[in-house]
Amino acid sequence: MSSDSPSPLVRDLQAALGASAVLFEPEDLLPYEYDASTERASPDAVVIPRTTEEVAAAARIASGHGVPVVPRGSGTGFAGGSVPVLGGVLVVLAGMNAIREIDVANRVAVVEPGVINLDLQNALAPHGLVYAPDPSSQRICTIGGNVGTNAGGPHTLAHGSTVNHILGLEVVLPGGRVTNLGARQLDAPGIDFRGLFVGSEGTLGIVTAVTVRLIRENESVRTMLAIFDTVDQASEAVSAVIRNRVVPMAMEMLDQETIRVVEPRVHAGYPLDAGAVLLIEVEGLVEAVEHDAQVVIDACAGAREVRTAESEAEREALWEGRKSAIGALGVTAPALYLLDGVIPRTRLPEVLNKVLALSADYGFKCANMFHAGDGNLHPTVLFDPEEEGATERVLELGGAIMRLCVDAGGSITGEHGIGTEKRDYMSWVFSEDDLEAMGRVRFAFDPTGQFNPCKILPTGHGCAQGHFAPIKQHLGAGSYV
Amino acid sequence: MTNVTASPDLEGLRTALPPDVQRAPEAYVLDGVTPALAVRPRSMSELAATLLAADQGGLAVAPQGGRTALTLGRPLARYDVALDTTALDQVIEYAPADLTITVEAGMTLAALQATLGAEGQYLPVDPAPGDQVTIGGLLATARSGAWRGHLPAARDLVLGATVAMPDGATVTSGGRVVKNVSGYDMHRMHTGALGGLGVIVAASFKLAPVPAERATLILDCGSLASAGATAQALWDRNLAARAITILDPEAAAAIGLRPSSSVLAEFAGDDVVVARSLSEAGAVARDHGSLAELIDDDPWTRLRRLASGETEATVVRAGVPASEVAALVGRASAMMGPAWGHIAAGAVWARPAADATALAALRAAATEAGGYLQLESAPRSLREGVDSFGEIDGQLMNALKTQFDPNNTLNPGKWAAEATS
Repeated sequence: MSSDSPSPLVRDLQAALGASAVLFEPEDLLPYEYDASTERASPDAVVIPRTTEEVAAAARIASGHGVPVVPRGSGTGFAGGSVPVLGGVLVVLAGMNAIREIDVANRVAVVEPGVINLDLQNALAPHGLVYAPDPSSQRICTIGGNVGTNAGGPHTLAHGSTVNHILGLEVVLPGGRVTNLGARQLDAPGIDFRGLFVGSEGTLGIVTAVTVRLIRENESVRTMLAIFDTVDQASEAVSAVIRNRVVPMAMEMLDQETIRVVEPRVHAGYPLDAGAVLLIEVEGLVEAVEHDAQVVIDACAGAREVRTAESEAEREALWEGRKSAIGALGVTAPALYLLDGVIPRTRLPEVLNKVLALSADYGFKCANMFHAGDGNLHPTVLFDPEEEGATERVLELGGAIMRLCVDAGGSITGEHGIGTEKRDYMSWVFSEDDLEAMGRVRFAFDPTGQFNPCKILPTGHGCAQGHFAPIKQHLGAGSYV
Repeated sequence: MTNVTASPDLEGLRTALPPDVQRAPEAYVLDGVTPALAVRPRSMSELAATLLAADQGGLAVAPQGGRTALTLGRPLARYDVALDTTALDQVIEYAPADLTITVEAGMTLAALQATLGAEGQYLPVDPAPGDQVTIGGLLATARSGAWRGHLPAARDLVLGATVAMPDGATVTSGGRVVKNVSGYDMHRMHTGALGGLGVIVAASFKLAPVPAERATLILDCGSLASAGATAQALWDRNLAARAITILDPEAAAAIGLRPSSSVLAEFAGDDVVVARSLSEAGAVARDHGSLAELIDDDPWTRLRRLASGETEATVVRAGVPASEVAALVGRASAMMGPAWGHIAAGAVWARPAADATALAALRAAATEAGGYLQLESAPRSLREGVDSFGEIDGQLMNALKTQFDPNNTLNPGKWAAEATS
């Protein structure tokens, strides 16, 4: 495709959205070929719509041309969810970034999908309101992306994942029909399409407006850092807190490898010789915080020391270490492979030790910073993709670590999603019948399999078989990714 | 029923089933209709086999557990087989240290809470009409109560579910861990689907510790307007509330309280937290000129029962913005029946003595306020004139129904667009 003769697809998109909202030159498409995963593929065109109608128009045009439609927010996904693996039209929602409404009295906000998570938090703060989901990438990730992956974050422990905070969605369905799922209130009548849609990674439609539930900021918060000699001791403290009937807002663990990388760069105050640190935050009425903090301190009896942030600045410093960990790790190695798996929290020490042993077997360093309270692990493998065969071995290690999580009774993803990365692991947790049923969900929304093809479901369950006639045509027979 | 004709298909199912899983159909009447057959399977596989046989025989199946939400949804178009889930009542896996449990769906909420209570834990839900609901029913109806908005609901707490499908498959989604985004959350799809897409046979939940203390306060406000302002002020204080409910005089009387427009509030947590909450709530009452009084017994159980449609009563639930709850309670109150509203959830419940026209007017009021109204329970005659759900996306619903229950075996008509008047 050359600039002198845009394809019919591009011409139709330009006619509907305006020339400036459509990118198609290869060099313009380049930034949209990848996200934070190892996946990479080029779209045929990128559109940057400003309205729901423009998204719908793009979906209709793509449908007419029989090409895939892939939604994208900030492209921070780790699972390849926004990579257009079969080409087609990439719908970039970053331009739809208005906070349409903040209804303070009723604790509801209506936002467009391109709103950055932290921008929403900042807009809410003056009203004493909070949107609970706070992914670690909140400075850059979008609310639409959060809906797509059912994003979590440190505070999921107390408040649950994104789905628990979404009241209603305006979505463009495959083919271009616009509909509303859920409502402005909780528990709308009818089948819960809202609950089904959140976490569907752009395979069921594109969200164009999100009605979110807000909570009041608590009057008191206390952040503590418990320093341990071993991960086992820190894990025992996590269990002891829960055993004593306290569910903190967050319980985050950083292991020795992470501390050694993060501390010299972030100066969060983590002792370099610690085996693990636990960051624990309790919130609520002053009295509740007093009580819960004491329970936490008692539960951390095995700690070398428990520090309490005495000021907002100290609190932010403690969190800065956690939130910057991945960035700091990125500086120390040519590449990182950040994994996402879940295990029952009581299996933490055992599985973590196996993860470290397995990484050593493969010859890689592995750092762990994760949501300990939820049992949501994020093993991060440091490697050099230039090294012969390293990428393949890292991916193999990733699979082996996922297998550990599954064998421990857990899940292959807690908050990053399946995307392309983990499609092949789906059969480790789900039976053929389970996957077939998920294929039916997909078919009900998207009979031609046009929206974000080859994501979530393994080959044969809504990807590359049966429903893919138009895409097959587009690519030529047999050329599946 | 007199005009039940035993079709060959029905006979086929009857003979295929062991006699001891068959029950007297008279105990399973729905909307005045007695099914030809009632089956109480003893295992998930027996249930799946029953469902498959019914599907193949072209029979209509109505799954049921505690039988507490029988008239929720549009009237059934056909009803051949009652599928009783209550024999599936076992704990599959309880991990107290992980705050998770997996149970069979026929277990009652009461039995579940008893198991959890032994470990100082609970499933923090308070559905109408009480803990006699089964876990399957809790999910299928997605009912919640006064705690909604302060605590998560069943649809938030469900981690995964196993569902029997009309084609004989038993399908699982989600898992048993507290955080999981693998695959489509079909357990959320089945939550609120009224058994129209499959029969829930097991489910996993995230649990919570039982609060050490709880206390209930009644604030006699004199008028619904004052009750609304008082409730909003209480909610804004962000205390350790587990419920803030506006009662009209009739609702207050029905649960054994003084017949006056009131706010009923429950606080839960550690003793110091509850004490602080009570003291501030007292201050809110003084600010609003209302009288606050601690209640020793449990009016909440009675309030849950008030939302029951086990008789021929009409029960409605509306969702409106919090700021509109008191006004809509007022509208419903004028329709000669108890009305109450939970401010944090924006949920208004009422048992109006209303005809179709009056219900339509109440639904219009909820819709104008930006919300919705659902019939939680109503006689068949009324449900034939007033749609149970109001506006829902029929296209998506039919597409899912076609995928999951192509022969329209499960609760036919309950969701079907053709049943809409």
